[in-house]
Amino acid sequence: MLKIEGLSYTYPGGLQALKNIQFEVPPQEIFSIMGRSGSGKTTLLKCIVKFLKPDRGRIELHGQDIFQMDERRFRQSIGIVFQNLYLFPHLTVMENMTLAPMQVLKKSKREAEEEAMATLKRLGIEAIRQSYPSQISGGQAQRVAIARALILKPQYLLLDEPTSALDVETTDEFGRWLLDLKAETTFVIVTHDVPFAAKIATSGVLMAGGEIKARGSVQEIGQPG
Amino acid sequence: MACFNSRSIKYGLLRMLLIASMIGGVILKPLLLPASEKTTLTVALTGKFPPFSFYSEKGELAGFDVDVAKEIAGHLERELVLVATEWDGIIAGLLLKKYDAVIGAMAITPERSKKVNFSQPYAYSGAQLFIHRQKEGKIRDIHDLPGARVGVGLGETYEQFLREKHPAIELVTYKAMTDIFQDVLNGRLDGFVTDRLVGSYQIGQGGMPFVAAGPLLYEEQLAIPVTKDNNELLGRINGALRQMEKSGELKVLHDKWFAPPSKKEAGAVSQMAAPVVVKKLLRGFGITLLVGLSSCFLGLMAAIPFGIILHRKIDYLTALLRFWNDFIRATPLLIQLFFVYFGAPQIGIVLSPLQAAIITLTINAAAYMAEVIRSGLLAVDYGQNLAGIALGLTKFHVFRFVVWPQAFRIALPPLMNAVVALIKETSLIAVISVAEVIREAQSIISVTYNPIKYYFIVGLLFFIISFPLMKLSGRMERNIKAKGFSHA
Repeated sequence: MLKIEGLSYTYPGGLQALKNIQFEVPPQEIFSIMGRSGSGKTTLLKCIVKFLKPDRGRIELHGQDIFQMDERRFRQSIGIVFQNLYLFPHLTVMENMTLAPMQVLKKSKREAEEEAMATLKRLGIEAIRQSYPSQISGGQAQRVAIARALILKPQYLLLDEPTSALDVETTDEFGRWLLDLKAETTFVIVTHDVPFAAKIATSGVLMAGGEIKARGSVQEIGQPG
Repeated sequence: MACFNSRSIKYGLLRMLLIASMIGGVILKPLLLPASEKTTLTVALTGKFPPFSFYSEKGELAGFDVDVAKEIAGHLERELVLVATEWDGIIAGLLLKKYDAVIGAMAITPERSKKVNFSQPYAYSGAQLFIHRQKEGKIRDIHDLPGARVGVGLGETYEQFLREKHPAIELVTYKAMTDIFQDVLNGRLDGFVTDRLVGSYQIGQGGMPFVAAGPLLYEEQLAIPVTKDNNELLGRINGALRQMEKSGELKVLHDKWFAPPSKKEAGAVSQMAAPVVVKKLLRGFGITLLVGLSSCFLGLMAAIPFGIILHRKIDYLTALLRFWNDFIRATPLLIQLFFVYFGAPQIGIVLSPLQAAIITLTINAAAYMAEVIRSGLLAVDYGQNLAGIALGLTKFHVFRFVVWPQAFRIALPPLMNAVVALIKETSLIAVISVAEVIREAQSIISVTYNPIKYYFIVGLLFFIISFPLMKLSGRMERNIKAKGFSHA
């Protein structure tokens, strides 16, 4: 269980981006953090993956403060896919996938490649395994980035604006695909695309001005006004 | 792993370096100065001032000064070691005891006498104005020249004399006599002032249409300088000169080299045998490549940690390195060369010319390459770091597997350009008497009087090396762009 308690964050310039944020993400769900640009969604995400340290409040994973957790265990528990994906441009898709298993989990190259192959096949992109990130489409890159995060088998995977670079058809396909995977991994989707969130997420929060304005089922909180 | 294989590039560079060092090893031996012992007499001259000193058809040092040096060494019962060095730094080198004496047609002047002690004169000459034969009627002597352009050798005594006594003349200084000849032929100069003996000899050798105009501007006494603390050697040199005068040896040598040009075949331009030219140019080019490539390699080895430190901002270390790099990049390479070669002995480190050249160019390459590597690191999106950390990689692994490979690929094309620039800059090391290719070409030109031909060949040699490197750099750049690297 991922639990956020009384979280506040102020940028060095003095802008308070998060004010007393509080919510829980139940496992095996697709949870959605919604809100317009500048509402504090991405700042919240950065706090959850420890790229920013909150001024106040706690983030707990299974009852343990994430800032007290062993770094390696934490990174294996919570993964993130950035809006810009940040695939490694000098490595092939396969090499992007196997770098962390080999270096972090100390798996052999063969074992890492076999697992990567299985994941790529499941996402239907095994054909591009020898391609470089610049040689594949936006939709494919999106899937590679998620596959790269999934291979570490995280309990939670945060996705920052996952549909921003996808067209309507790919977005639909991507949604179906997340629903298939949610039994293994809990997805936290940060998005301003409310219709997309409404299609796949069960619950979520709506943010504005660094605060949570509504929480509950996405159908309800997603209503305009 | 990647489209272009960084390992094969590394081995390619290594192999080039190895070949260069093999060529270098064979031809460098005579260049590495042995520590002067009491059994040797080490004498400096320029090797570019015929008939006093120049390289003969066989590629050996010859001339009046060389013969005088041989005789004196014979009288002193010491083995003669000749060092060919640039005129600019010849006294500085003497003061640092790079050699025992200079026998280089040096005139006694009050300024020089403050720094060194001169022997008794071993030859007498003087300053003479020479003009183009076509102007023979118009210019009778130096007084007909106000406002005219007159060429003189850089650092020669004529320059100072003319500035003081004939301030209305516009002086143009040159590093080589052959360049002065070329500019008189081109009409850029109205005339030139040089040593009467040397001038007449060179005009005859080069088959130049120049004539002497007017009487000697002043007489000069040519003598041999030694350091102020070396009276013992000075006494022995004077003793030898007195004996040579008495026995008539000195007169024989003088006549051998300074006989009137009429004795020579009229219009016969002197030549150098083709195999000697080829050998000299290849040897010079071998040294150019050896110095250029080894400095690049060593410079890169230093630049990698330097670039990383500059990028990571490690407190005082970064501030220190930033200042050092800015200092190196803001000062001329020529000054750095002098500083290392003449300055290091002051703190007890005596370097051979070749060592000083490689060290200076390495320092220079390291400074420029460190900046290239720093900007390569800067060009890698910070998100790449975050993505690596999010995948559980340690900071070291993120650098090793994610940031560095991208930064190095981005840095490679500008690094190749730095290599090309550095190889071309090796031409400057001639000032500390490393016989690189341009110095060798100049010594060929001082005999053959054909600057255009030999500079063209040297240019071609540089092109043959630089062009493929530039092509390689361009190919790498396209490769990097194709892979969608940021800012590439």
